[in-house]
Amino acid sequence: MLFLELLIQGLIYGCMYAIIAVGLTLVYGLLRILHVAHAGLFTLGAYLGVIVTNATGSLGLAIPVSAMCVGLVGMAIYRLCYQPILSKPPYVALIASIGLFIAMEEIFRLIFGPYGLTYTQVPLQSPLSLLGMSLRMVDIFIVFGSVAMLGLLSWLAQKTRIGIAWRATVDDPQMAGSFGISVQNVRYLNFFIGSALAAVAGIFISLLSNLAEPTMGGVPSYKALAIIVLGGLGNVTGTLIAAVILGVVEAYGTIYVGNLLDRDAIAFAFLILVLMLKPQGLFSRK
Amino acid sequence: MIKKTTLIFLTLCLVVSFASLCPAADTIKFGFNAPLTGFAAADGKSSSEGAKLAVKQINAAGGVLGKQVELVIYDDQAKPANAIPIANKLIGKDKVVVGISGSYSGPTRSSAGVFQEAGIPYISAYAIHPDITRAGNMVYRTGLLGTVQGRAGAKLVGDMMGKKNVVIITLQNDFGKSLAAGFKSVAADYGIQVIAEYQYSMKDRQFGSLVAKVKADKPDAIYASGYYFTCGPLVSQLRAGGVDAPVIGQEGYDGQKFIEIAGPAAEGVLITTTLDRDSKEKEAREFMQAFEKQAGYPADMVSASAHTAVKVAAAAIERAGSTDPEKIRQAIAKTSYKASSGLIRFNKLGEVMKPVQVQIVRDGRWHYYAVIDDPELLTPPEE
Repeated sequence: MLFLELLIQGLIYGCMYAIIAVGLTLVYGLLRILHVAHAGLFTLGAYLGVIVTNATGSLGLAIPVSAMCVGLVGMAIYRLCYQPILSKPPYVALIASIGLFIAMEEIFRLIFGPYGLTYTQVPLQSPLSLLGMSLRMVDIFIVFGSVAMLGLLSWLAQKTRIGIAWRATVDDPQMAGSFGISVQNVRYLNFFIGSALAAVAGIFISLLSNLAEPTMGGVPSYKALAIIVLGGLGNVTGTLIAAVILGVVEAYGTIYVGNLLDRDAIAFAFLILVLMLKPQGLFSRK
Repeated sequence: MIKKTTLIFLTLCLVVSFASLCPAADTIKFGFNAPLTGFAAADGKSSSEGAKLAVKQINAAGGVLGKQVELVIYDDQAKPANAIPIANKLIGKDKVVVGISGSYSGPTRSSAGVFQEAGIPYISAYAIHPDITRAGNMVYRTGLLGTVQGRAGAKLVGDMMGKKNVVIITLQNDFGKSLAAGFKSVAADYGIQVIAEYQYSMKDRQFGSLVAKVKADKPDAIYASGYYFTCGPLVSQLRAGGVDAPVIGQEGYDGQKFIEIAGPAAEGVLITTTLDRDSKEKEAREFMQAFEKQAGYPADMVSASAHTAVKVAAAAIERAGSTDPEKIRQAIAKTSYKASSGLIRFNKLGEVMKPVQVQIVRDGRWHYYAVIDDPELLTPPEE
């Protein structure tokens, strides 16, 4: 029984990690930038979700509004921060990204206050009994919501012209460009989708803990990096699987080795172990 | 034209330099370090608001030794590395006569050493680590020690509530660990059996797997340490996961924000703290009214502690009749002062001796539940 409950919790953690990490791996795949400020967009998404929900009473409205706004901010970050330094070595973009992330945290604190925001009425909290387990609606919502979004993303990438252009650009930007694909537009789209997913992840987390706080991006900022390394940098399928595995490992780990290692230590011990056995990540591209 | 701009510029310079010089000549400076940014910014805001309120009240009543008090506040981000340069700046550049920590244990421990070495009195408002006052005779504490609060928690759970099978959930930092140590040191005396113990880190907000395990443990009560931003989510997730056992917390929960985050799940949560919301004492009632008016949200433990520390310092300087650090220190040591967080007296080590307030959440506000004042249980260490 406990085993099953922990498995479900692991899946919930895994789904959240997956939709955060997917945006990061998309950016890395396309531009070879470790986009740390992605976690800042995750926080922004959570804040917008809480604000719109409180103002309108509708979570159904808050999710698309927040995703849209954060997607646009993500595009702006690419245009204003990364594009001018693309020709520089990768660590320049990394440092810019870290700086941007720190600045975002403090801007959130200045605008929204140090205490964080809470929902006046937290949506989707009604209890739900499944096979004798006590869950909340929000738990189910997160799992199905994440699967649906990732399914949509996969359909977009595999079946549409945009998706084909996107994959072509990831494989070989120069060749794609010479076939008439606008590399620039693909990059914008890439940032838009990745950031929008991060925003939804932020809203999911805020629903679980009823709290959007300035520093909530701290954990995803490095854990998502661990996940994309684990999944083989830039590999989307690998990232998704790695996220779910990490979620499950954490769910069991916090209970059975939690007094020795804290949650993050478990995640990184697992990462080190995997990299020792498979240095190219679990699912590396050749 | 050039002459005119130069003239304006010079006048401005003069005004600015006068503005910065004039009050400096005739004020007594109190140093104050608090985490105004970073993860602990919320507590930094509360503590600095509490301290500012105290200074405002002191100045309105005529100041100290006939001079106005000036509060010099620096942001330490709750980081020990930032606290040392701040302490040096407060002592060397600002020439404060007394330092007050409105911050956490890490930075407070660091700056306590600097103040001790410089021979300037330093008061920790609410940092709980035992080593702070061990920095030396210049360092005092107006807040309760973690171990003292942990012992009071054990009495509350085992004796007053009669709950015997207890799960401990501990935040992995100085605060959580000293509370757990205090709790366990006397648990057996009250017939408490600790059936399981779990730890979590400051960054955790998702406790799904912990909740599943605690549910399987079937405890009579849960002693969980942490802050409002960790325990708000923890308590709401415990209740949503079907765990009904009472939750006992500490001053880290203290504040309206905990109730806001945990929502209906907060009802019935008990904490050991220092501010009694239903206090009949004039000092506490006036403080709570004035604070809510100034800050725009209800007073909490942190703000009351900082308010208390500033008031204690001011009263000591008044009694010392001088700003000589050694005289101030002697006056602080002899303090017997009724403050917003209770009657303040210090022992030989500089630890406060005061009762522990037990507060409960009822109808979305903190209320009086009990007071624990067994001298044996609460006596802080003397060395």
